[in-house]
Amino acid sequence: MSVAVSQFTSLLPNDVLARAEKMRLNPLNRRTNRMRGEHLSGKGGTSIEFSDYRDYVPGDDMRYIDWNIFARLNQPYLKLYAHEEEMHVAILLDSSTSMAFEGKFDLARQIAASLGVMGLMNVERVSVYTCGPGGPEAPFLKPCSGRVALKKFFGFLENIEVGGEIPIEQSVETVLSQHSGKGIVVLLSDFLTFGDIGRAFNLLHGSGLEIYAVQILGPAELNPELTGDLRFVDSETSQTVDVSSVGELLGLYHAHLDGLQEYLAAEARRRSGRFLRISSDDDLKDVLFDKLLRRAWIR
Amino acid sequence: MNWIPSFFRPSYAWLFALLIPVVVFYFLKMRRTRLEISSLALWRQVINDQRVNAPFQKFKRNILLYLQLLLLTLLALAAMQPFIPGASARQQYLPIIIDCSASMGAVDADGTSRLDLAKEQISDIVEGLLPGQQLTLISVGATTRRLTEFTDNKPLLRDALEDLRVDDVPSRVADGLRLAQALSRTHNIERVRLYSDGNLPTKPNPATGFPMAEIDFDLTFPVDFFQIDPVRNNIGITAFNARRSSADEWDVFVRVESAVDAGSEAEVIMSANGEVMGSDQVILNAGESQRLVFSVDATIDQNLEVELRPRGTDALKADNTAWLNLPRGRQLTVFCPKKLRTFRHAFQALEGALVEPNEDGEAFQKEYDLVVSDKLEDVDQPSAVSLFIGMVPEKLRDQLTVEEENSEVVDWMRDAQILQHVMLKDVVISQLPKKQQGVEDNEIEQAGFEIIAHGTQGPLILKQRDGISVKYYFLFHTDKSTLPYRVGFPVICSNLISEAMQLASLSEIRAPATGVLPELSFDKNEAVRVTNPLGKHDERTTNDDGILAGVPAPSVGQYEIRAGGELKTKVGVGLLNPEETSLLAVDKLYFNELSVDAEIEQLDTDKPLWPMLAAVGFFVLLFEWWYFQKKPAGIPD
Repeated sequence: MSVAVSQFTSLLPNDVLARAEKMRLNPLNRRTNRMRGEHLSGKGGTSIEFSDYRDYVPGDDMRYIDWNIFARLNQPYLKLYAHEEEMHVAILLDSSTSMAFEGKFDLARQIAASLGVMGLMNVERVSVYTCGPGGPEAPFLKPCSGRVALKKFFGFLENIEVGGEIPIEQSVETVLSQHSGKGIVVLLSDFLTFGDIGRAFNLLHGSGLEIYAVQILGPAELNPELTGDLRFVDSETSQTVDVSSVGELLGLYHAHLDGLQEYLAAEARRRSGRFLRISSDDDLKDVLFDKLLRRAWIR
Repeated sequence: MNWIPSFFRPSYAWLFALLIPVVVFYFLKMRRTRLEISSLALWRQVINDQRVNAPFQKFKRNILLYLQLLLLTLLALAAMQPFIPGASARQQYLPIIIDCSASMGAVDADGTSRLDLAKEQISDIVEGLLPGQQLTLISVGATTRRLTEFTDNKPLLRDALEDLRVDDVPSRVADGLRLAQALSRTHNIERVRLYSDGNLPTKPNPATGFPMAEIDFDLTFPVDFFQIDPVRNNIGITAFNARRSSADEWDVFVRVESAVDAGSEAEVIMSANGEVMGSDQVILNAGESQRLVFSVDATIDQNLEVELRPRGTDALKADNTAWLNLPRGRQLTVFCPKKLRTFRHAFQALEGALVEPNEDGEAFQKEYDLVVSDKLEDVDQPSAVSLFIGMVPEKLRDQLTVEEENSEVVDWMRDAQILQHVMLKDVVISQLPKKQQGVEDNEIEQAGFEIIAHGTQGPLILKQRDGISVKYYFLFHTDKSTLPYRVGFPVICSNLISEAMQLASLSEIRAPATGVLPELSFDKNEAVRVTNPLGKHDERTTNDDGILAGVPAPSVGQYEIRAGGELKTKVGVGLLNPEETSLLAVDKLYFNELSVDAEIEQLDTDKPLWPMLAAVGFFVLLFEWWYFQKKPAGIPD
């Protein structure tokens, strides 16, 4: 007699969920607050680690004098300890109309769910913002943390609807107006925009957010098989453009596509961020536990 | 050559009108399909980039249209059948005469014969035939024959050309020209082409002394003579004959000649009845000849074969072998009645003649080589040579009478064999052979008689050929003339004996040459099979006299004659032609009223262009298929 196993969430298979729970995000730069020992208590954080020495000045807590150095140098030096500040994980999920093609949004949502689980299970403050719908209508999930927030987190993601034409760079400004806290920003988008992505990256980096940019493209966008004379219609703006002998332009298209990838990767790198391009055909497990894991985005 | 093409079917230019619907349909087809994509962001950049190379892109955008227009243009042009006009005027009917004589079988260092070269040149003409043009091929060899009717069927012409072979016979170009002339009565023939190496029968030019080829033919159309490059090195047998030197021996003569332009050396090997009986070496300079003599036993039948083994290059193999059959020696049998004493006396004085009936009146021979008689019943007696005295042939009894009046010899043929070295002037004859009124000499000739001596009112001596035998008629009786008392009378008898010995092959024999087999004697109306050196059979029947005649012998080699399945005899024929062996080539032909020079360069035929256009069109089609099937550049694998 088979026993039906219920999915915890429709977004992720249970095995992926179980594995994601045990993993954590691995940012390149951990934002820390240096504090003297007297500020340690009450400040929160999950670990204390030695950071540096400084000269002892009257009034410092003598418990943190390094007596070994004093014995050698006959001079008092104070040990400094650091503690991790709480990390924010802001997930920016592009839900504009362009993401509706070829399962891009579904994969983006699954990745958002997986990375969000990692953040929540490691007591990081996870928030989700959507790009696409403009203005105050854009739904977002306020920062939440811990296992107790999983249900609310998954429920939010499951209810996001695709639509809208607000480009991602414009959405970033809106997000930053609503978000505070340093940490990681996970950008899940196709990045097919006319706007300046570099400026958006600047804003994010300047806000203390390390950029995890994942470009998701459909197979028809990665390798279009088009011939003849066509009239392209933009799904978001409904603008059209006539193209003759499309087949002849495919080489140029690929050149531009590769150029976009290189540009995004360079922009992310310049801001100590990360960039990855995947196909909406890729398997979720392959993306998470092979690509992201090998690139040390997660551990 | 004028490189501006002409068109054989300009009416097909209407096909260019199809270009219009091609263009119309192409642009009608350019309705664009709407395709919703996620974002125009990338495509706009692509199009902006493309616009930088606008002029070239405009071409590439419509390349399909351009290719289709090009293809249609090529097809329309091909249908119009363009051609580059040749130097020669285009003729509707073109007879081509091909010399297939022995010298056309001469090969050069790589084994290519003159006939092969002629075939190559004629093949080009066949391939370049334009619609409306027709060729006929005439080969001139052992016989002159048309290989094809006037036709433009290229496979037929090619096959006929391919089957052409060399005949080991001398050139007879005039026969080909006569055939072409006969064709001109039914077809509009403007010119005739002749392909030959120029090795034709020649005689010395009276003015210059150089050999010139005279062709007895009245040209009624221009002849373009295309001379095939002759070859030089050759040595061959040009004569092979035997003469009785004594009752027991033949002297066999072999003449070997080299080509006019190159010397040669060779070994000559003589075989008798299949066994080598002698050999000799010859070394000749250009144009030289040498005569070799061998002695052969005459007491038995001898089948001789002479073979030439050249050292070094030998262009012509056909002249390297010859055959000669020598009969066993015997006396010449002569029938002469005792009444004709003057003749018997003259014959008995000559060596090698057995005259019957003998003095006792006995006659033992069933057949005689020479019959001399004044009796009518002896006319039908078979013999090689016959002399009838005081007798008018039965066929001419209505045309001629003999009256008892005096006559004299007015003129005679000094080169007639019986009258060689004979002076008939002042011979008094007391009989007068007379033509009936209204009878002309040509009537007598048309009856088959040759007048070799003329009297005052009619012929005196007649000659008739009857197959291989010869009959002479002295219309007057020699006893009624002063002829027996003249010095010429024994000379006449000696000439008779010589001719009889020749015809009986008792004194001098020449090896048969290619062309026609010598006449052979078998049973009357007997069926025989002649097998030629190539193994082909020819079924024949002897005539009422048992003579087998007119058997073609175009190839050098031995011909076997069988009757009733039994091998009767073998006859070998050789080329034996000094002109063919010399490979002397002339570049000018002298006809009866004008001469024709060999063309210095090949006349360019019209060159059709449609095959090239069709091929280009095919490759355009292949390119169009490849271009639109290939993966555009820049697309990653």
